[in-house]
Amino acid sequence: MSVANESSQEAHNMQEHHSSVRYWVVWGVLLALTGLTVWTGSIHIPQFGLALALLIASAKGGLVLLFFMHLVDHKGANRLVMAVSVLFVLMMLIMPMADLATRYRPANPAGSHLSDLPDLEFIEGKKSTHNRAGGGAHGSGQAAPGGQQAPSPSHP
Amino acid sequence: MQSSAHTAGATPGVPRLAAHFASLEVQNHAARLGMWLFLSTEILLFAGLFVCYGVYRYAYPEAFAEASRHLDLSLGTVNTVVLITSSLTAALAVHYAKEGKNSLVAIMFGLTIAMAGAFLVIKGFEYSHKFEEGALPGPYYTMEAVQLPGVPLYFTIYFLATGLHAFHVIIGMSVLVWLMFKAMREKNFGPNNYTAVELGSMYWHLVDLVWIFLFPLLYLI
Repeated sequence: MSVANESSQEAHNMQEHHSSVRYWVVWGVLLALTGLTVWTGSIHIPQFGLALALLIASAKGGLVLLFFMHLVDHKGANRLVMAVSVLFVLMMLIMPMADLATRYRPANPAGSHLSDLPDLEFIEGKKSTHNRAGGGAHGSGQAAPGGQQAPSPSHP
Repeated sequence: MQSSAHTAGATPGVPRLAAHFASLEVQNHAARLGMWLFLSTEILLFAGLFVCYGVYRYAYPEAFAEASRHLDLSLGTVNTVVLITSSLTAALAVHYAKEGKNSLVAIMFGLTIAMAGAFLVIKGFEYSHKFEEGALPGPYYTMEAVQLPGVPLYFTIYFLATGLHAFHVIIGMSVLVWLMFKAMREKNFGPNNYTAVELGSMYWHLVDLVWIFLFPLLYLI
């Protein structure tokens, strides 16, 4: 019975006639937020630039989900599916990031600021990049050019 | 069961009620729920690429910032505006489908498809420029301008994420073309028959949603 009630509530919300002004307003806000994110992105704020960009993108995504995709009219199960999906995305992001942030230092990718090992594909002073296509994978120590001393790029 | 007042299938424009649903409302609810479930799997598909992005941006912050400056920000911004506007026309198509204005539904989907095409053409110009520069994934990276560890990984993620997104744009366009011809030929979308328009439009909004996150992460580091 609860399913039938939820469905009839949803059908009622979806049937309810509203003018198309709502969509135009959302469109205007989305364009304004795009302008804002381009502006804040181009001044390159080092501390919270990424957080701000993600915040603006989430606000835009929320507007699209709620009004363009009518989540504001849909009830119960539809919202639950979306909430669980967002939760899983966050879990998928947090677990590998937690792994990378707590790794034993030599296990980090070579050449990164987390590692003392150089990336042998980008040894300082190495100019020619034309015959690299057959080279090994990135960060692999197998393709080391013989005898070339590799200074660590980020660690003095 | 007060909600089974609808007598479905009587008029040509109204979808048939399957025997296993209590009412047309429950049937439409099930269709929407199925679409939301499908879209959540799509979000998780893209989330895998966002995880790759997060991990490698954490490891190579300078390389990612440097590489992103070599993307064309103005083309990326134009593409964002194009995609957001195409989402508006897709939403308006649902609005007109509810009112039974089938010619307007066809026009709105036509505009959406045209903007989707424009998005792909602009993306194609960006890709060909990257091919010329040698800003290619992994071992094929030959751009002399930026020689930093991690930059080829940035371009691997750039091409995988935007390529998968472009693939979704093409699928969305095909669905909308089908709906546009349906609105033009059958002319029977109306207050009791707009589920197809709504779900097709939802898929298009998902394509827009993914781009809303890809744009700042790839272009605005």
